[in-house]
Amino acid sequence: MMASASEALSRDVRLYVFRRAAESARVPQPAQIAEALRRPLPDIQEALKQLAAGKVLILAPNDGNIWAANPFCAVPSGFRVEAGGKTYWGICIWDALGIPAALGTDAVIRAPCGDCGQPMSLEVKDGTLAHGEGIIHFAVPAHHWWDNIGFT
Amino acid sequence: MLLFRGEEHIDRWCSARDLPRAEGATLTPAQGWQLAQAWYKDKVKPQWRRHTLEETEALLADVGLTGPFWNLRKG
Repeated sequence: MMASASEALSRDVRLYVFRRAAESARVPQPAQIAEALRRPLPDIQEALKQLAAGKVLILAPNDGNIWAANPFCAVPSGFRVEAGGKTYWGICIWDALGIPAALGTDAVIRAPCGDCGQPMSLEVKDGTLAHGEGIIHFAVPAHHWWDNIGFT
Repeated sequence: MLLFRGEEHIDRWCSARDLPRAEGATLTPAQGWQLAQAWYKDKVKPQWRRHTLEETEALLADVGLTGPFWNLRKG
């Protein structure tokens, strides 16, 4: 079955966003995507809404920009990932670990203790967790993750 | 989901927010890496698609994440 035009555009937008985020450590925003794909901005904004509805990425609440093309966060956060000579950010420790998983590279992850703020680090090397400290805690049960993904 | 130095830090963080300490809600960093790999290893690839509910359940179980906290089905 052939994909509809909107499904095809959503796929193109997804591929562009994630490829650019992986390659450059910067998540592209709607105007850049429109220019790169040579499509009108409203079409790109609609495609991004569809991708967000499908939980492929997360849009910022007010301006329609991409907040996170998970695992890649568009804005600096406390979860800093150094990989391949670039600095990436995740919105949480799960996504921070997801960055070397998605890239298939080594990485050093730095994150503060959620309680006291003391810096901690984890290291991924050759596909394994070579160093890890601390405990990961989920505050929200799995079936409520998407009720408020920002808090989750 | 956050990273904490130890159990007492999680207790303090939850207490400050009036959140209960749910059973099974913590992972070791090794489990976190295993979960991240399973969840994200294909995300940049053209053929990526969202996991189905059943695939996600199997993926969580593979990491040892079972029990009510990890139940994806409402009700």
